[in-house]
Amino acid sequence: MQWTKKDIQTYLGSKEYIDTAIIPIIPFQLSRESEIGKSTSKREILSIFATEIEKELSGRVLLVPNYYYLEFGDKEAEAKRLNDWTKELFTQPFKHVFILTFDSGWKRHEKELDANLLWLPGFQVEDPNSVETIQMIRGQVADVVELMRSYW
Amino acid sequence: MSEEKQQVSRRQFLNYTLTGVGGFMAAGLLAPMLRMAIDPVLQPPSEGEFANVGLAVEDITTTPQRVDWQIDQVDGWYKSKPGKTAWVYKDDNGDIIALSPVCTHLGCVVSWEGSESHPNQFFCPCHDGRYTKDGVNVPGTPPLAPLALFEQKVENGMLYLGKAIPREGA
Repeated sequence: MQWTKKDIQTYLGSKEYIDTAIIPIIPFQLSRESEIGKSTSKREILSIFATEIEKELSGRVLLVPNYYYLEFGDKEAEAKRLNDWTKELFTQPFKHVFILTFDSGWKRHEKELDANLLWLPGFQVEDPNSVETIQMIRGQVADVVELMRSYW
Repeated sequence: MSEEKQQVSRRQFLNYTLTGVGGFMAAGLLAPMLRMAIDPVLQPPSEGEFANVGLAVEDITTTPQRVDWQIDQVDGWYKSKPGKTAWVYKDDNGDIIALSPVCTHLGCVVSWEGSESHPNQFFCPCHDGRYTKDGVNVPGTPPLAPLALFEQKVENGMLYLGKAIPREGA
């Protein structure tokens, strides 16, 4: 399910079947120009990634709208805000909440997070929409799906 | 002013002009309507909705295999290439069967023998929905309808798939 009117109507009708939420968290920054290319390609690939996971498991997973944060900002404050999001989801009740990221900086703050952190090694590609990239992402998506199923 | 020299009378002249102008207006009104009425005939013959999925017919076995392909979709001004997936195999009569992988329960993607405890069945990872090889839902599992069946055709030994046609509940 995505955060769209049509999907949410289905969600409200079959709430008991949908117990897992994914929050893609995406960094944003303009201060380090040399790394902007990396930041933007991360964002594009993470979006494709999240949509592909949602497509595979759409009947049980809600893809929450993206959470944006400053890439070199205060991660402790962000962790607190993320926990508010997680709390909101747990009261629905969602049983599993996953945070999806390419940013390894979150690994050090994993303990502060109430949700499961799914850190994936990001990769850089020339064209995020090329057939090769999409095939590569599909291969990884299968593994992530397998990982998520182990929590169910 | 002599009557003989007047080739066209004032009345005739007005009649001609009015007919001419009226004719143009009528033509202007009717032409677009006619164009619209016969529009389907004028469309260039297209591939229809069928897309080459990149699978040769001779490579299709009796074991379902997953094929992924992309279609060109034009939605108003927005052009996209959404990915499509099907499970393809040959049944006992040698006919090609192409099933949509979208679970009829809530839309997850099912996989062939996705669960070790249910061999020879399609399995939905989300809520343990199951389908037999022909795509019919197993009673007692969440799905209430069989998997949709793709329209298909074979050209030059390649498989072409079209729309997925939903089937009635079993």
